[in-house]
Amino acid sequence: MIELERDALTFSFPEVHPQATLRIEFQRTLRIPDDDKTYPLPPGLGAFPMRHVDDQAANVPSQWLQRGGVMLPMYQSEAMWLNFITTTIQDRWQPYPFAIKVATGKQCAVSGEAWTDGLRRKPQNYLIAPKQPWLDGYVVEKGLIRQFVAMPLGAGYSAEEQITGKAEHGGLQLAVYPMKRDVFERRFPKLGRMELSRSEAFMETADMTLNFCMAAPDMGLAPGGRMRQEIFDDPYDLDDWNMDVGGRCFVHLCNSMVWQAITGAMPPHPAPTAKSYTDAGLPWFDYYDDSATAVEGAPVLSKLKSVNQMSSDKGDVALPENETVTPDNLVVFRKGLKRGQVREGVF
Amino acid sequence: MSDFGDYLRKVREQRRAGDAKFSVRQLAKRVGVEPSYLSKVERGQQAPPSEKTIAALASELGEDPDVMLALAGKVSGELQAIIRRRPKLFADLIRQLKDLPDHAVLRLVREVRDGDW
Repeated sequence: MIELERDALTFSFPEVHPQATLRIEFQRTLRIPDDDKTYPLPPGLGAFPMRHVDDQAANVPSQWLQRGGVMLPMYQSEAMWLNFITTTIQDRWQPYPFAIKVATGKQCAVSGEAWTDGLRRKPQNYLIAPKQPWLDGYVVEKGLIRQFVAMPLGAGYSAEEQITGKAEHGGLQLAVYPMKRDVFERRFPKLGRMELSRSEAFMETADMTLNFCMAAPDMGLAPGGRMRQEIFDDPYDLDDWNMDVGGRCFVHLCNSMVWQAITGAMPPHPAPTAKSYTDAGLPWFDYYDDSATAVEGAPVLSKLKSVNQMSSDKGDVALPENETVTPDNLVVFRKGLKRGQVREGVF
Repeated sequence: MSDFGDYLRKVREQRRAGDAKFSVRQLAKRVGVEPSYLSKVERGQQAPPSEKTIAALASELGEDPDVMLALAGKVSGELQAIIRRRPKLFADLIRQLKDLPDHAVLRLVREVRDGDW
């Protein structure tokens, strides 16, 4: 079952295991420059507020009600990342594993393929938690992603429109499948009391002429700047995942300019620019997991034009304040250290 | 003697053991009643006070206001308003849930509705 709790989606499968719970947060962040450089991971600036679409039934497009799910506000050219939070099973010191599918406009953000039910291995069309702690964008090359950036659906920028030529779905789609319980118990046997492993701590103004009564407030996600992020290969067998009990959710992306008209609540203040954030000496992040291999990028996603490339083609200025920055304050997280091994930092 | 009065005195005296500001006199002053009245309430010689005073006592003593109201035989105005808005629905719901164990009640949640994509 899926619940909306404290601005996050909680997927739980009590019929599989009482603690089989995955929480997915949608983190606000700064938009990395969309230029030729490759950037480290930007920070989390807090979770986007979320609502059930059913609670706004009088004010949202009928298609949103038909699809069900939840909604969150994004400004045009605002970025987001997904935070996957798992629960450690106490007697095994191991979070319950999940396979997670992420699509935007019903195009898979990992494989670039159209949405289908279930999981596929070649090419892999899912992520695995807890190994994959975050997802910041489209997997365009091995170890490289392009940041999720919101653009009005219908403007031609979204991955969906670039791949299918249509602005039909928008939003973000999720499906989660837990590992089968017998597989989990076999792969992760009960442990005695051990030391705990190191915890993984871990605006632009939209078109003001938009009339929300007449026009859809839909946003779609488009590929932005390049970022270092590995999407890890599934180390388990495809049959280890319990595809009979998956949960899926449609996350509607609502233009922040009409969020208040729909919900009566103010959207969050726009995120700072990458330049002002970096000039303030605030940290950027890198994450390594030496124990895992990364999936290749999806050819269809690697061919997508970034928002900046496309706006140049169109003669638009879709991304003001897109100045190149040089992150100096870099915090490195490295997974796969032996217990007690001291983590090397940046000197 | 009353459930509410017994409970109030027990909790207050526990607090007073570590902090003199939980004497009858000082607590009564903070919640805006006479000490003699509060003393009579504790001894069951007076009916429990108003919802507002019970909420103030709960806040001072660090107790749950719904629990203290229930001991006084009351339901908060907020809950009453919720039930009054949809009386049949909530009356049926509460009757159906009355014998459910706590863990089953806690599992009653609102799920995110999936639709037709």
